[in-house]
Amino acid sequence: MAMKVRTVEYFIREAIVSLKRNGLMSIASVSTVALSMLILGLFLVMVLNLNHMASVLESQVQISVYLQDNLSDREMREVGTKITKLPGVTMVTFVGKEEAMTRFKQRLGEQQGLLSALGDTNPLPNGFEVKVDKPEMVKPTAQAIAQFKGIETTKFGQEVVEHLFSLTKMVRWFGVLLILFLALAALFIISNTIRITVFARRKEIGIMKYVGATDWFIRWPFLIEGVILGLGGALIAVFLLAEAYGMLTSKVYESLAFLPLIPRSPFIANISGLLLVLGAMIGALGSTISLRRFMKV
Amino acid sequence: MTDVSKVYSNGSVALSDVSVNIAEGDFVFVVGPSGAGKSTFIKLIFREEWPTNGQIIVNGRNITELSLREVPFLRRGLGIVFQDYRLLPNKSVHENVAFAMEVIEAPRREIQKRVNHVLELVGLRDLARNLPSELSGGEQQRVAIARAIVNKPRVVIADEPTGNLDPDTSWEIMKIFEKINEDGTTLVMATHDKTVVDAMKRRVIAIEKGRIVRDEAIGVYGYEG
Repeated sequence: MAMKVRTVEYFIREAIVSLKRNGLMSIASVSTVALSMLILGLFLVMVLNLNHMASVLESQVQISVYLQDNLSDREMREVGTKITKLPGVTMVTFVGKEEAMTRFKQRLGEQQGLLSALGDTNPLPNGFEVKVDKPEMVKPTAQAIAQFKGIETTKFGQEVVEHLFSLTKMVRWFGVLLILFLALAALFIISNTIRITVFARRKEIGIMKYVGATDWFIRWPFLIEGVILGLGGALIAVFLLAEAYGMLTSKVYESLAFLPLIPRSPFIANISGLLLVLGAMIGALGSTISLRRFMKV
Repeated sequence: MTDVSKVYSNGSVALSDVSVNIAEGDFVFVVGPSGAGKSTFIKLIFREEWPTNGQIIVNGRNITELSLREVPFLRRGLGIVFQDYRLLPNKSVHENVAFAMEVIEAPRREIQKRVNHVLELVGLRDLARNLPSELSGGEQQRVAIARAIVNKPRVVIADEPTGNLDPDTSWEIMKIFEKINEDGTTLVMATHDKTVVDAMKRRVIAIEKGRIVRDEAIGVYGYEG
């Protein structure tokens, strides 16, 4: 059934009249949706930023390659070239025995004296430091290098990587649960508001049914009302979230520049789009739930 | 209606094996004491209630086979008038009548024309801008009748339309029904208004304890009180 423009006008007019008629309830549900959406948005921002940070840190994890002691300079150079050609490898740095010793001494600091027992011998091997572009590439790349000829062993910050992965996984799960809970709360509030509207207009709905209005004709204004409530709440949340994130990023760039935050644009625009769609969906679903119970006239 | 029975879920039998044929253009009274099954009879016609058994054919369609989606379209061929008028209190007389056409998405110009016409017919043209609360009971019922006929139904069903009205006003209402019937519309009216039934000299179907006990072409109410 194609809908007439006039009918659509009628639906929207009815929805707005009804929103005004129970003004307080409308305000209450818009605020609840706004609050839920705001918390949901904040959480999304947090989770995504944590993910972002984790992957930045993960990509900084490097692979240490230690070479066998009996390799000639040429053989070492060949190994370096082979590593460079592996997919995903972004940087290969040679770390010679002496360089390794210097670093080791630095790390020991005041306890350097311990090394005097070694005398002039340097037990540290020659090696490479290898960086890859994606955190997931760390492990397979390390394993691939280990297969090359002349490699003593490869190591990478296995524990750091695995800790980060389990942390983000946990945060993600908690986030999903919280988001589900908040979405349900918003759904409940909207369906309650629509229920009150439908109840207040049950007489009118009855008459509409007696004169032969189709169920969809009766439903549309309530659906539109629910969507307006959901969208309205989401809009407020989106506005607050964008402002807050703008402030946060500028503060962080000023004083904590090393913290890798996701840039505001287009990140916030994407989250806003998601929240608006979600708000509208929650509104439509909320009124559908109420209508199913009350439509049996 | 063929062999229609209606047993409510609480076990009470409202109608049992009722068979009746109402021809197009008839004017029929359904009479009987309270609780005899009059209301159920009426409700079955516009599918507010489902029959437990039997078949009901309205405007050539077997409405017992109607899906829920088709019910609105059945009702567009019927005009329904209730004892308690059922007008929308915050809409004017004109809007109340126009409402019935709006919900079936009639063109605006046609709504204007039809509403004015039916308000003329029930003699309420001058009160079109008033709210139902500013009208007397008889006037409100006339608005309800205007609303029932505005979509040109082939059948008008009235459930105790004069139940809340005094005899003079009832008589006015009956005059309007008679006029509607003269235009070819079938009229089915449940009532226990003895004076009205006796004066109109129309077909009377009497229901008692869920059964048709009498069906006379020109009948009288036949009950005392």
